[in-house]
Amino acid sequence: MDDFPPAPDVAGTSLDGTKVFTISAEENAALCRSTGVEPAADGTAHPIYYYIATQVAMGKTVAGVCETCEFDVDDGPMMGSSGVKFADPLMVGESYKVTGEIVSLVRKQSRKLGVMDVLTYRLRLHPEAGGDALLETDNVWVLPRKELAG
Amino acid sequence: MSMNFKAGDELTPFVIESVSPDAMRDWSVFLADPNPIHLDVEVVKAKGLGDKRINQGPINVAYMMNMLMAAVPGSRIESMNSRFLDNVYEGDHLTATGTVTSVDGNRLTCEIKLDVAGRGTVNSGVATLII
Repeated sequence: MDDFPPAPDVAGTSLDGTKVFTISAEENAALCRSTGVEPAADGTAHPIYYYIATQVAMGKTVAGVCETCEFDVDDGPMMGSSGVKFADPLMVGESYKVTGEIVSLVRKQSRKLGVMDVLTYRLRLHPEAGGDALLETDNVWVLPRKELAG
Repeated sequence: MSMNFKAGDELTPFVIESVSPDAMRDWSVFLADPNPIHLDVEVVKAKGLGDKRINQGPINVAYMMNMLMAAVPGSRIESMNSRFLDNVYEGDHLTATGTVTSVDGNRLTCEIKLDVAGRGTVNSGVATLII
């Protein structure tokens, strides 16, 4: 393990977004049906929009986050885990913006994958007009470092 | 289903009969992510990842959310965390299940997982609902 160079020091990199993400009724309905359910009648959006809205409206693309980590997105980043805490439900027709940051990038040796970097980043979704976050999500990605394979 | 849940109760499963490549195409737009492993079988083969298109990870999370919302009507998800253990491919038959681990006031916590017929668990985690 000590033979490997350290992972790039990227903790704290801002992922604050400038885009506004609006959940349209049409897209929410299509999304719900694509997963086998009808859209809710009470105006709430499918909760998986926690992931979609934060990913689409964060300050970097997935490829851009990988680039920050000195990793080529074509080398196949893999989702490790995804967690979310909701303060309030997401609503159809509402507009949101994202704040967030890279939490850590940790280099590890895996028996299955060889050398890999474990990337954790945290995103929060806020009303476009400002105010407290409706949700906070931590996503963990595994970045296999083929170039460091023994 | 009764709302009088207790630890050990099994939640009503949610079944996806066959994972649809059309849904993957839709989700590549929803996610603004054109990764071809979700769209083009030839790319999947070229990368040595099998011979079927690979479902986007967040769709698998959505299936487990659907299970929770259908099994506990009127509830809302307060928190959820799950690990991606293996890929889901087009044509896979999936079952999302949950087991109640605790009930504390109006908070119901459960273990959740997503299984592929014949291949085992591909996603597992924990969720807390406000009931």
